[in-house]
Amino acid sequence: MTDTTTTPPSSAPSPSGVPGTPGAAVVVDHVSHTYGRGESAHHAIRDLAFEVMPQEFVSIVGPSGAGKTTLLRTLAGLLQPSEGAVWVNGVRNTGVPAGMAMVFQDYSRSLLPWLSVEKNVAFPLAGHSSAGARKELVDEALEAVGLRGFEKRYPWQLSGGMQQRVAIARALAYRPRLLLMDEPFASVDAQTREGLEDLVLRIRDRYEMTILFVTHDIDESVYLADRVLVLSRPPATLVEDIRVQLPEPRDQITTRENPDFIRLRGHVARLIHGAPGH
Amino acid sequence: MTATTPRSGTGRSASGRSGSARAASAGRPRHARSALVGLASVIVPLVVLVALWQLGTTLAPSPFFPPPVAIGQNLVALLFGGPAVVTPVFVNDFLSTVGRMLLGYAIGCAWGVVVGTAMGLSRASRETVTPIVEFLRSIPATATLPLFIILLGGDDDMRVVFIAYGVSWFVLINTASGVGSIHRTMLDLGRVFRISPARRLFSIVLPAASPKIFAGLRIASTAALLLAIVSEFILATNGIGFQLIQAQGRFLLLDMWSWMLALALLGLLLNSLLDLVERRVLSWHRLSRQKI
Repeated sequence: MTDTTTTPPSSAPSPSGVPGTPGAAVVVDHVSHTYGRGESAHHAIRDLAFEVMPQEFVSIVGPSGAGKTTLLRTLAGLLQPSEGAVWVNGVRNTGVPAGMAMVFQDYSRSLLPWLSVEKNVAFPLAGHSSAGARKELVDEALEAVGLRGFEKRYPWQLSGGMQQRVAIARALAYRPRLLLMDEPFASVDAQTREGLEDLVLRIRDRYEMTILFVTHDIDESVYLADRVLVLSRPPATLVEDIRVQLPEPRDQITTRENPDFIRLRGHVARLIHGAPGH
Repeated sequence: MTATTPRSGTGRSASGRSGSARAASAGRPRHARSALVGLASVIVPLVVLVALWQLGTTLAPSPFFPPPVAIGQNLVALLFGGPAVVTPVFVNDFLSTVGRMLLGYAIGCAWGVVVGTAMGLSRASRETVTPIVEFLRSIPATATLPLFIILLGGDDDMRVVFIAYGVSWFVLINTASGVGSIHRTMLDLGRVFRISPARRLFSIVLPAASPKIFAGLRIASTAALLLAIVSEFILATNGIGFQLIQAQGRFLLLDMWSWMLALALLGLLLNSLLDLVERRVLSWHRLSRQKI
């Protein structure tokens, strides 16, 4: 059921100049990043190499402070890596790539409190399309996350889980090909989290997106993903690239009872905590 | 400048009270009642003070402390009446002061927001400019008046520039701190969704910093009035400050008191106007904080 793939993308550029497998949604080509210089330099990530195929759901897990945020900011083009490069949809990141959206961990800060729910969702769309088309995108996205009827509310009038759904709707309305999620459910309660996890799986199917999901929750990483990338302590390197082949659709009860799920989560936990395994 | 703080302080707490009354939109009667209570708690102490003063001056008349009713009547006589409804003093002195103050205030605030935003956004500019700002603003603004007179002469332009200069610090410091403390996630959000720098500035940065900017605008409004009056103490030919000095020279104590009353009313009016604007612009901020 589980096979460990250790096929980092080759640095040899293909005819198109893009490293890695042709058609990959994301290619991380031997990326390292160091903050600061000299004595106080902090090596956040070192020589990370992996690729993500279109419509794959990939979880990234690692111990706290493992450079997950650094990796995500690099993928998002918010940070230029010290070495190596990131390619999104065949284009080398020199800034924020087109067709990419992000759901941040801190929904209370990623939603604009002076805008209503619908205006928050429409915020990235201004200038992209006509007012009618924008309205359609916003309505559909709010419907997808189950927030129709809350258009005129303000984010701070909603619960944490609902706020994060607004943030997801905003990302959906943007129609990204690549969705980055930075520990999006870290600050909601367990029940809300399960609902949001299933929501993400549903919208992945509906919107045909590639999703990169950073989390520190081992169960969540396995439950959601097609692949789990396990990072080491900083400087973060790729410890293992695990393919998850659990029955679809995933289900909060049966999937978590599945012996493969239990074995996998144990395996990931051992990798993260560095305990002697099998 | 310390003298300006208490007034702006009470103004804010009063607005907070009536603001919470507005928030309880679910229960209208309760809303109306608590607004009344809020209003009464402002007016009652004032009325009591005036009544006591009136009583005191009637029992023991003093040339230095005229009765409040006389002060009020004298103020009305100073400003209103005559064929044009308002007196020449109203136009030449009262309106001149208000005009200069508002113009200086507007220029100072605009400058403060622009420079403060630049400081708040860029760490490099913040680190370079902060020591200079800290030094310059430590000079009491009133102490720079002689310099402004030498540089710009004794006319009205100088007064406007002087007010703008003194006022700008409050707005600048508050804006820089407001913009500088915007959470990284909020700034990242604009970049991730590839929003243009201009729209990021006007739709994310400035609204996010607006609560602090408004706090600066409020303090600055009190300072503007103070600086306007001080600037009219020297080399002026009109204005409320000029009238105050004239009244002092001629020992017209009733006039002095009346002009002080005019200034108090002007300050209150200004504060209420700002309150009104702030309540509209920052309703999200007040309500979201009550939620927490």
